[in-house]
Amino acid sequence: MKRLLSAVVALFAALCMYAVEDEYRPVTAAYTLEVGTSHLSDTYLTPLKYKGLSIGLGYERMQAMKFSPEKWVMQLSGRLGVNRAENPARNAVMWDLDLDLSWGMMRRWSIKSISGLQLYGGGATLLDVGALYLARNGNNPVSAKAAWTVGVSGMAVYNFKISRLPVCLRYQAVLPVTGAFFSPDYGELYYEIYLGNHAGLAHAAWWGNYFRLNNLLTADLRLGATNLRLGYRANILSTKVNNIVSREIIHSFVVGVSGEWLSVQRSGTISPTAKIISAMY
Amino acid sequence: MSMGYLKNILAIFSFGFLMSACHHIEEWNQDIEGNFNALWTVVDEHYCFFEEKGVDWNEVYTRYHARLADDMKALEFFNLCAQMLDELEDGHVNLSSSFKTSYYRKWWSDYPQNFDQRLIEQYYLRFDYSSVGGMDYAVLRDNVGYIRYPSFSYPVGESALDAILNQFALCKGVIIDIRDNGGGEMTNVETIVSRFISERILAGSICHKTGPGHNDFSEPYPYYFNPAETGRTKWIKPVVVLTNRSTFSAANNFVSVMQYLPNVKIVGATTGGGSGMPFSSEIPCGWGVRMSACPVFDAQGLPTENGVNPSPGCEVDLDPVLALAGVDTMLDFAVETILNGNF
Repeated sequence: MKRLLSAVVALFAALCMYAVEDEYRPVTAAYTLEVGTSHLSDTYLTPLKYKGLSIGLGYERMQAMKFSPEKWVMQLSGRLGVNRAENPARNAVMWDLDLDLSWGMMRRWSIKSISGLQLYGGGATLLDVGALYLARNGNNPVSAKAAWTVGVSGMAVYNFKISRLPVCLRYQAVLPVTGAFFSPDYGELYYEIYLGNHAGLAHAAWWGNYFRLNNLLTADLRLGATNLRLGYRANILSTKVNNIVSREIIHSFVVGVSGEWLSVQRSGTISPTAKIISAMY
Repeated sequence: MSMGYLKNILAIFSFGFLMSACHHIEEWNQDIEGNFNALWTVVDEHYCFFEEKGVDWNEVYTRYHARLADDMKALEFFNLCAQMLDELEDGHVNLSSSFKTSYYRKWWSDYPQNFDQRLIEQYYLRFDYSSVGGMDYAVLRDNVGYIRYPSFSYPVGESALDAILNQFALCKGVIIDIRDNGGGEMTNVETIVSRFISERILAGSICHKTGPGHNDFSEPYPYYFNPAETGRTKWIKPVVVLTNRSTFSAANNFVSVMQYLPNVKIVGATTGGGSGMPFSSEIPCGWGVRMSACPVFDAQGLPTENGVNPSPGCEVDLDPVLALAGVDTMLDFAVETILNGNF
């Protein structure tokens, strides 16, 4: 019995060693700066539509999942955005500060008929917090935003070469399906919330009252150890609850760096026979 | 990945876009007509006292819309809009442009002013008083403390209140003069009231619009004030709150809370009201509009939009003839009320 147990332990240890030494899952990470235009509307603050500038900082991390690295990848992303927009008369400024975080898992399929093409599909959960600020308003200068949602995520990745330069082209769309989000009542002042009236502030989200679609198109120019990421982001958020319509549309050019980082344990070297399973490249 | 699967994905996205398209935001033209309609609609959907004031807002639209002309100058159009807003007879309603801000003034101008600051400073304070935290204070004749608080916009510090009330420790009572106090921050109301209560009190209730209809209101939400924290100076001796018609908005709210406290008398004239907390919006040409949107009621659930009356037997006006001789009949009445101890 003792021998049998020892044999099982040895076998398990060997399998683990095999997994560690022969199969690596590098982290694909990217840091981006995003600059573009914003279209902001929030009827709690104003009936007018504001237009202006959008600036954002983005972070993204992807990695093949340990349990099935060929088929499943995880993605963690965050974006801190600041939007500054003006009303049609250009005599009032609305500021918008947003922090968006998401985590998701996607199944991937390699399309054998088109070399280099991979399609991904899965789910994601998103946490979005922020606020719109319109200084000209006295008692209602702020419209706070908070939402936790779960949704679907789809991505297409195409690796190809321009001359000798490897390029990774990616389009991704994330669409929350349901969740919960915050909104005051139609004419409710935040002073009343401060006084303790917290009734009716949380709302179940569905596409009828909460529609968000995050689109991201990127091209990673694989110049060396670090890649240059260029891209375009189009985020749409539209909510309607308590007769309050809020809308935020962002179009941004994306520029940044991306790369793959591999954590190598023990010897610090990778076996020539090791299998590296990238999340995207 | 079959074609059917892709079709399903496209169908999901299409449905989502369709749903978001339902989130309609009204677009207004930039011309005279568009701005007029935007202003009328913003007020129509957010103003809270149509019923109390007996205003038929549709009739107002018809009457003022007939006066529009395509070639109106900006000032002419502004004045027309301001006149329309004056129909609400509300001191919390303003139209603001780069060249003018409209005010409805009759809520106070049709009444005696009942206040002369120079008179008090010269003949009662003799220009010898202290100031801290937005408050002027001194000890008057017969050992009565006097606080002048001209605006609830001035932040009130806890340490300042300690200093003032400690100086009045030997006084028989205190007069809080909020004549001509046009309001400010509601949070300052709680800060001051907390010095005059020894236990948690029902201060009033507030409600808000739940939709654009004139009668779309939430249930009034009761709100409470707590006494100042342990270690702070509290006042349990008589208090007189001195008011006039220009005691408005947050100052009106302060009176609505203080009127129900023991050892407190409201002396002077009926306050100016202004119990609807204002909400701001704007119209396409960039003019801002502000209006009463959230009614605040007193602790008995009564509206105070038309003002808070003085305590029974405490109605008094400033005698303009005696004022010329350096006598503030209202302040004298307040002092006598404290000295007589009729609380």
